[in-house]
Amino acid sequence: MDADTSIGGHNAQFPSTQVSLLDAAASGLSGEALERVIALYWKPVYRFVRLKFRKDNEDAKDLTQGFFTSALQRDFFARFDPAKASFRTYLRMAVERFAANQHESLNRQKRGGDVRFEPIDNQAVAGESAEEIFEREWRRQLFSLAIEDLRAHCEQSGKQVHFSVFEAYDLTDADHPSYAELAARCGLPETTVTNHLAWARRMLRGFVTERLRGTTSGPRELHEEARRIWN
Amino acid sequence: MNKIWIGLLAGLILGAVDGATAWFYPETKNLLAGIMVGSSIKGMVVGILSGWFARKVQSTGWGIAVGAAVGLLFAFLVAATDTVNGRHPYLEIMFPGFVVGAIIGFLTQKMGATPMKRQEL
Amino acid sequence: MELSDSVLAHLRHVAALPDLSGTRYELESEIGRGGLGVVYQALDRELDRRVALKVMDAALAGEARLIARLEHPAVVPVYDTGSLPDGRTFYAMKLVGGARLDRYIAGNPSLAERLRAMRRIGEALAFAHTRGVIHRDLKPQNVMVGEFGEVYVMDWGVEAVAGTPAFRAPDAHLDQRSDIYALGALFQFVLPAAAPPALRAIVAKAMNHDPAERYPDVPAFLADLERFQEGSAVEAWREPWWHRLRRFGERNAVLLWLLTAYVVVKFLLFFLRKV
Repeated sequence: MDADTSIGGHNAQFPSTQVSLLDAAASGLSGEALERVIALYWKPVYRFVRLKFRKDNEDAKDLTQGFFTSALQRDFFARFDPAKASFRTYLRMAVERFAANQHESLNRQKRGGDVRFEPIDNQAVAGESAEEIFEREWRRQLFSLAIEDLRAHCEQSGKQVHFSVFEAYDLTDADHPSYAELAARCGLPETTVTNHLAWARRMLRGFVTERLRGTTSGPRELHEEARRIWN
Repeated sequence: MNKIWIGLLAGLILGAVDGATAWFYPETKNLLAGIMVGSSIKGMVVGILSGWFARKVQSTGWGIAVGAAVGLLFAFLVAATDTVNGRHPYLEIMFPGFVVGAIIGFLTQKMGATPMKRQEL
Repeated sequence: MELSDSVLAHLRHVAALPDLSGTRYELESEIGRGGLGVVYQALDRELDRRVALKVMDAALAGEARLIARLEHPAVVPVYDTGSLPDGRTFYAMKLVGGARLDRYIAGNPSLAERLRAMRRIGEALAFAHTRGVIHRDLKPQNVMVGEFGEVYVMDWGVEAVAGTPAFRAPDAHLDQRSDIYALGALFQFVLPAAAPPALRAIVAKAMNHDPAERYPDVPAFLADLERFQEGSAVEAWREPWWHRLRRFGERNAVLLWLLTAYVVVKFLLFFLRKV
């Protein structure tokens, strides 16, 4: 096991539970591993499909569900080559192919099909490309899952205060309160507030890494994706 | 080779060459040998003095200046003791002597070994 | 829960910050991002001085340890190292002031100053090579020029990460010769638009596609630079004869002027005499 697989190093609080995708696929993808992939990718694919192919809510849902059902039945993981692209890119391209195929068969059904298939690349979102949109949504979901992991962990270990401090400061859309204000609000000394925040952020980083580990092919891709997130 | 020897050699050679240019002047042509010897000696004296100066002071500018001055002085002395066609050849000897002295001064600055400075204790 | 774009960006920023609570350092600001990791400015509480803190994944720390052993005026000294609670490694090093090389060149220094900077860079590289360290990512962004003209070469040993391909050798293997290629590319960057052909020839030789045709080592490169500055012939360039003559004239200008003066004086005396 290289130094990477224990992200906490000597920090006993963070045992790594996840195996990389390649390791999982080698032993036949377990239900749990599959679940984690879907947990991370469902929302990004849905949003991607909505934006790029201009589907409405129902159609997008159907397409997303269809993709995951069909693709994951057919050797999807076995055919993934980490040397060529990241798993995220590989999956996105598979979605695009799937959507194109769906549209083809749809067109064949509707005779005289005047339904145009126009994947619009430059979206309304400040001219972002499809890849950028997908990555952004993927990142969003990654952090959302990690935050839920953190919440669950705090609940289990009786650290609810930690989480509420974190929530009040780091998850707020409004202007950040000062540490002093936050301390007063929570009835805690300011140093405790800074400590809780530092702890929560550290844990969040760990949870993000764990979620990432279960959806990348191995240490190299993990490093590369982590670099893209944190830089 | 130390700078004094450089000066001596340079002065000898350049002095001889300078003296040899008297060949172009018909009135001195027949005295060529004597002129060359005298010019060589003059050159060597200038060279020794320039070399000595160069050992004490390392400065190209000053070396040229001192060489030129010494060259001018000795050229004057030679011209004063010389008569050609009833007049002293001041211009013909001093002017070139000045420039040759400058050249000798330059060469003693640029070439030859400087004495090692004694370590200050 | 739905994360807004701003919250997401904020989280990415704060979760990347190093937790220095167990150390003697106090985080102040982010300085930049190198090949290995992020560099922060921090305050060393015990010595009461500002340092640069480089934070990287533990797996990459091995290379950094090798470089920490380099002691040279142009290599940033490493003061301290340690582990962070999240498993990352940090290195505390000297906080270098001054300007990055690209900004320094934009200030239009003289050719002599540019050559002096190149020599310092080359000396650092030569030193590292004798210690078996290859830079692998030499480029203007990795060189700092201090206010007193001191030069620092940074970010050693990191393979160029999709960075600036212009400075990366076409070689398959990155070794000392590819460092020399990068040195040539750097030199090309440093030189002004109207550079003497001898210097351009040095660049061309260092950047030769065939590694065997480049300078065999950095000292050879520096020697050619030195020859140019002395007015001697540069190994990289075969100059036309009139150029060689002009160089000879420049080197021996004083003597040539004195000899000319002698000849002129003699001529004047000769012809004026006739009058």
